[in-house]
Amino acid sequence: MTSSLHADRSGPAIDLRGVTKRFTTPGGAVYTALRDLDLEVAPGEFCAVVGPTGCGKSTTLTLVSGLERPSDGTVTVHGRPVDGVTPGVGFVFQNDAVLPWKSVLDNVMLGPRFRSVDARTAREQARDWLRRVGLAGFEDRFPHQLSGGMRKRVALAQSLINEPEILLMDEPFSALDVQTRAIMSNELLQLWDLNRPAVVFVTHDLEEAIALADKVVVLTAGPGGTVKDTFRVDLPRPRVVQEIRFEPRFVDLYHQIWEALRAEVDIAYAQTTRAASEAS
Amino acid sequence: MMTQLAPLTTTGERDVATVNQQAYRQKLRRRRTVVRITQAAVLAVILGGWQLFVGSDPRKVILYGEPSGIGSQLVDWVQHGTALGSLGAQIAVTLEEALIGFAIGTVLGIVSGVALGRIRFLADVFSPYIKVLNSIPRIVLGSVFVLAFGLGIESKILLVIVLVFFGVFFNAFQGVREVDRNLIANATILGGSRWEVTRHVVLPSAFTWIVASLHVSFGFALIGAIVGEFLGAQQGLGQLIKQAQGTFNANGVWAAMVIMALVALAAEFLITRLEGRLLRWRPPQLSGPDL
Repeated sequence: MTSSLHADRSGPAIDLRGVTKRFTTPGGAVYTALRDLDLEVAPGEFCAVVGPTGCGKSTTLTLVSGLERPSDGTVTVHGRPVDGVTPGVGFVFQNDAVLPWKSVLDNVMLGPRFRSVDARTAREQARDWLRRVGLAGFEDRFPHQLSGGMRKRVALAQSLINEPEILLMDEPFSALDVQTRAIMSNELLQLWDLNRPAVVFVTHDLEEAIALADKVVVLTAGPGGTVKDTFRVDLPRPRVVQEIRFEPRFVDLYHQIWEALRAEVDIAYAQTTRAASEAS
Repeated sequence: MMTQLAPLTTTGERDVATVNQQAYRQKLRRRRTVVRITQAAVLAVILGGWQLFVGSDPRKVILYGEPSGIGSQLVDWVQHGTALGSLGAQIAVTLEEALIGFAIGTVLGIVSGVALGRIRFLADVFSPYIKVLNSIPRIVLGSVFVLAFGLGIESKILLVIVLVFFGVFFNAFQGVREVDRNLIANATILGGSRWEVTRHVVLPSAFTWIVASLHVSFGFALIGAIVGEFLGAQQGLGQLIKQAQGTFNANGVWAAMVIMALVALAAEFLITRLEGRLLRWRPPQLSGPDL
């Protein structure tokens, strides 16, 4: 990508140092989403971030993408501090973010068109990517005519057509049924293998995290989530997501990471029940 | 409404389904006929009752008009023209005022609604002014415009613009603010500039709101044109009504109203067509009774 020509290739792709993020709630109160968080992702590394609800997982992604700025600390991407929307970043949202008024093809063409690629080339690229995500023949459909899994594929093609060096995914498959989810996870791994962007994959499904990632980062319960522990997943690639969970090493890792995660989940749960009982 | 049945597997079931489907269609058709007949009966009762009540008593005809008189008034206008000139010319003048004003008011409303919805600074600066302008009964401005711009069509067009603008403006403004944050974030990360995001994300999303406001706004456009003509004009349906009123011709007032109703229905039809075109990306609605 032209925009990252001068980027530093030797260092980490993503580097968050001492990052704190506070929000002001509509009531005027200050809410700390992240506190003093350090996170480093190498180029081509697949990093999963897990943690209980409300620990600031998604906030991490909006900081890396440049949609939000940190209140404290620094966010650098390829050695450059993030300032505005980071070039070379793809983002797959939890909810549908494909444009409902554009056909599948027009949706996937958006990225190239925004980068002033001429319409014909953009269309060719879009067709190509739709074929790769298994949606050849659906170019002229509108999103509402597709299933949830198919819309996710459109979203993937829409992001990947920009050939991002960093792919941010915010619980992308959480709205899908279990079978579709496993299939999509597998396909994600195959697509990732094409260009090997650095990935930050936010989820609260630990199984999904281990099956996909090179590294699993566990965040503490919010408010003010921070990194509790980092685990390296040394399972061999290529992996088959549906089967890898039976490997002894997978079970091992699951036990270890769950140990770290469980305490945080308990804390978060206690907080929500307390909040609920105070509210009632 | 088409009803799609789930595909069935065995031929036996399919035969049963075909029979059921036929019976279902027949039932639908019968129901529609009953509705139509009832509608005609309601109309007959209203018009017949009216005619019987007035009963060709000349005093009552002057006060209330009568359906047969309205009919002959319409025929008379079509054949011999009105006191102001041909009937076609009166309709054309009113339509011209309404359409020009409607077009300008709509465009102004969309542009300012989107601008204020997208640019926070503008919204903060202008919101008190807009609230004040919106709170005054704008129909009064008709008198101001007639005084300032005379009896021609300009004063009516201005009144129509003022009436149409606010409805469209508020819908456009609200529509822009209701755009899904995710869609905007997605388009921004894909590399869209502010203008590109407005064009590809904000406008199409807001159009659902804007188009909905057009139905009401066209009604306002006709009101504006007619009231403008009431306040002072040389031609137009409003002037025709005013004159009929002045000569105790109740049939004439009613006849002009019938014409206006036809114009409004035609416009409503066209706007619905436009809506279908602009919003064809939407999933088909499971609709209740149409009104």
